[in-house]
Amino acid sequence: MIEPLARRLQILSLSLLALQLLGSDWASPLCWGSLTLVVMASLKLAKAQRPADLRRGLLAQLIALGVLAGLNPNLGPGLVQAATGLVLVAALLAQESGGGGNLRQMLNRSVQLLVVCLPLLVLLFLFIPRLGPPWPQAELGRGRTGLSEQLDPGAIAQLALDPSPALRISPAQEQDLPPADQRYWRVRVLDRFDGQRWRAAPAQGPAQAWAPPAPAPPGAAQQLWLVEPSPLSALPWGGSGVPLNPQITSTAKGELLGPWQTRVRRSYGLAASNQPPAWQRQAPARSDLDFAAGSNPQLEALAEGWRQQLAPAQRLAAAQALFQGQPFRYTLQPPPLGDVAPLDQFLFASRAGFCEHFASAFTGLMRAAAVPARVVVGYQGGSWVPANLWGRGYLEVLQQDAHAWSEVWLADQGWVRIDPTAWVAPARIQAGLRSGLAGQWADLGLLSQGLPWLRPLTRSWTNLDLAWNQLLRYDQFSQDQLMQRWLGPFRSWQGLVLVLGLALALALAVWILGLLRPTPRQEQQRRRLDRSLSRLAPLNLVPQPGESLPAFCRRAAAQLPELAPGLERLQTSYERLRFAPRGQERARALELARSLGAADRELAAAASRLGRRPVERLQSPEPP
Amino acid sequence: MGSLHQVLTQINGVLLGKHDQVRLAVTCLVAGGHLLIEDFPGVGKTTLAEALARSFGLAFRRVHFTSDLLPADLSGLRLFDQQLGQFRFEPGPLFSQVLLADEINRASPRCQSALLEAMAAGRVSVDGTSHELPKPFCVIATQNGLDQAGTSPLPESQLDRFAMRLSLGFPPRQAEAALLAGKATALDGLAAVIAAEELVELQQQASRVACEPPLLDYVLDLLAASRQGGLATGTPLSPRAGCGLVAAAQAWALLEERSYVVPADVQAVFAAVAEHRLDGGRPAQEPGGYSRQLLAAVEAIR
Repeated sequence: MIEPLARRLQILSLSLLALQLLGSDWASPLCWGSLTLVVMASLKLAKAQRPADLRRGLLAQLIALGVLAGLNPNLGPGLVQAATGLVLVAALLAQESGGGGNLRQMLNRSVQLLVVCLPLLVLLFLFIPRLGPPWPQAELGRGRTGLSEQLDPGAIAQLALDPSPALRISPAQEQDLPPADQRYWRVRVLDRFDGQRWRAAPAQGPAQAWAPPAPAPPGAAQQLWLVEPSPLSALPWGGSGVPLNPQITSTAKGELLGPWQTRVRRSYGLAASNQPPAWQRQAPARSDLDFAAGSNPQLEALAEGWRQQLAPAQRLAAAQALFQGQPFRYTLQPPPLGDVAPLDQFLFASRAGFCEHFASAFTGLMRAAAVPARVVVGYQGGSWVPANLWGRGYLEVLQQDAHAWSEVWLADQGWVRIDPTAWVAPARIQAGLRSGLAGQWADLGLLSQGLPWLRPLTRSWTNLDLAWNQLLRYDQFSQDQLMQRWLGPFRSWQGLVLVLGLALALALAVWILGLLRPTPRQEQQRRRLDRSLSRLAPLNLVPQPGESLPAFCRRAAAQLPELAPGLERLQTSYERLRFAPRGQERARALELARSLGAADRELAAAASRLGRRPVERLQSPEPP
Repeated sequence: MGSLHQVLTQINGVLLGKHDQVRLAVTCLVAGGHLLIEDFPGVGKTTLAEALARSFGLAFRRVHFTSDLLPADLSGLRLFDQQLGQFRFEPGPLFSQVLLADEINRASPRCQSALLEAMAAGRVSVDGTSHELPKPFCVIATQNGLDQAGTSPLPESQLDRFAMRLSLGFPPRQAEAALLAGKATALDGLAAVIAAEELVELQQQASRVACEPPLLDYVLDLLAASRQGGLATGTPLSPRAGCGLVAAAQAWALLEERSYVVPADVQAVFAAVAEHRLDGGRPAQEPGGYSRQLLAAVEAIR
């Protein structure tokens, strides 16, 4: 039947789970999944009649816990999750041990079990190949930072920040990276404009004259790239370099295309090349001038003026003067632009927006002024993660670092990158998104403004949390690096090492658990007695089969009278401790246990005295 | 407890040189069991039995069992009372606190079976009516060795109802010298040291002596060992034997003035309690052989 303790522990674990659900991100479908599991487990518990019901409820809770652990990997939630796991295991123990223990024992044993499993956990963590999450980590596009195939600045009224990682770049050393304001990682080129939206032209056929870049020169510095799953098939890159994998090709527009399906984690290497990339000199197509005439009349009128009066380079300068001279504002909550002439609305009325607005307005202006131009989407910036336990340092770029900029064709320079956002909000480009919004998004700061005396505490906690996240950052990339370092050429033995390690860790766990088996107090006393008696073994005093303790003590004392006092003390205190009812002797138990210890010491001393003069003992053969 | 020691002293004054047996006999009475004393004629079986009954102040009847003894001679019978004009039950010698059954193995099996209910349940059924026996009730039986003339072995069922079997053996030389010199106390002069009610109280006290789990484990291991085939152990010990063993060990611990039983107590009473059940009435080559084997087979340090 169901143990009451197991039921109570389950109620506790259910409330802990509910607490974690409250603090979870309800936008994630997984959160709803685990809510369902928790509700089901609660109903199961309420109606539970048989132990099997209880076990099923526990299983559901364990799954919910695992899902929640995936949702909230930070240190604080991690601690609550560990506590929940502890309670769950204790509940299972309470059920399976048939009520043979109290709460403390169950929790104790549960802690032991979990601690003993830690080596297993570490092994699995280090050696099991990393799988990407089976669900899309964040819904890209649709008003979230990240990349999409098209750009429609007018439709977005609010942009949410997505702090999940997008890609990592691991150069040979940090100096190989461009300076912070030059870190533009291009992904997709959007060169079709319909007056509102920018989208990419269909794939170019082989008719286009395009010479693929030369293979990488041997010994060139290499960069390793790791890209999280994304809906785009194009790969990010810095715009120059040669892919090591011959299956990866660069297109005439400066996009990098790989052989992968879209939604997988991708990694590839790029060899540095000192030649300017070929796409930069690729002449523009006629469509790079198409500005959907008539869609944004004010813009077209302004650009028409520039076109008639200025040379192409000067038209560029005029546009920069326009963006820097007018009160343009960088914000993630721009007013909606509407369906009619959105670029006009932005340039001449609202003047507030983020990179997509600036890039599309500028590109539109350039095209209308007869300068070939296109929008490039990709990532900008990134933060350097120094080398740590898991491997060498790398540049981490987040989804919220997604960016859009422009490229214009100048006959003498080829395609030139122009970032109008940098004209308006240079800090955004220099130091990342957050600083670009300084003051506007005060609550984004890592440290909340708590009580002054709490701040050092908060800071330490934040540091701990960061360290924990650093630890959890161990992903496929780090694993590859670590395995390379540990196993070197025997990299393919990773599975064997894992299996052997697991077997060892399991054996260790079983052994430790055996050592930790709880012993009743009476068994402890028995062990103490055995230890005391074993001290007499060197003197040839061993209990005979079926000999009772008093009989043995009498015999031993008769043989070696020196032992008599210790033996008598041993016998009386042991028998009282072991055979007297607990209720009678409880008050004296401590005293008796001490007496048992004293008898043991007395015996040990006497035995060692006797053991040191064996000759004398042999000389007096007749027992007294 | 002091009174128990007085009892021991008094009986030891009557039966010289038999301290162990006397102690076991007193233990048996305190444990509320029936006692079987077996030996050659003339070593003092009846003396011990009578001395026990007198010292505990118990009303006792003595029946000498012969081959023509009838059950009604023990339990009593229904007589027609002419004055009352109806049948009336005339209780037999069973209706006493102690029944001294002399030479019990000379009676017929039919007669012995009349004792079974009395010994097991403390009541007697005559002509379909149950009659309760007085409390405390115990049977102290003596029997001659099986090789004696005119004896038949007791059935196992009845042997099992005796909590203990003692054999007295010849007294040591010194004790016999004292006996011959007439230094033994005469049975007639024995006064009751303990009243019958006190014995009942002592019996209850004995049943409250603590048996902790390690001790019970020891007893269970002994019982289990007797039921295993490997040893030459004779008849396995019954659960009734187990109960009797624990009760006897409790009484022994009470005599030792302890409030708990230790394995040594069990060992002290084991031969007396178990041997006659193990050998099924046919003694082993050496006396107490079966129980000694069992004791040696089970670890006693618990």
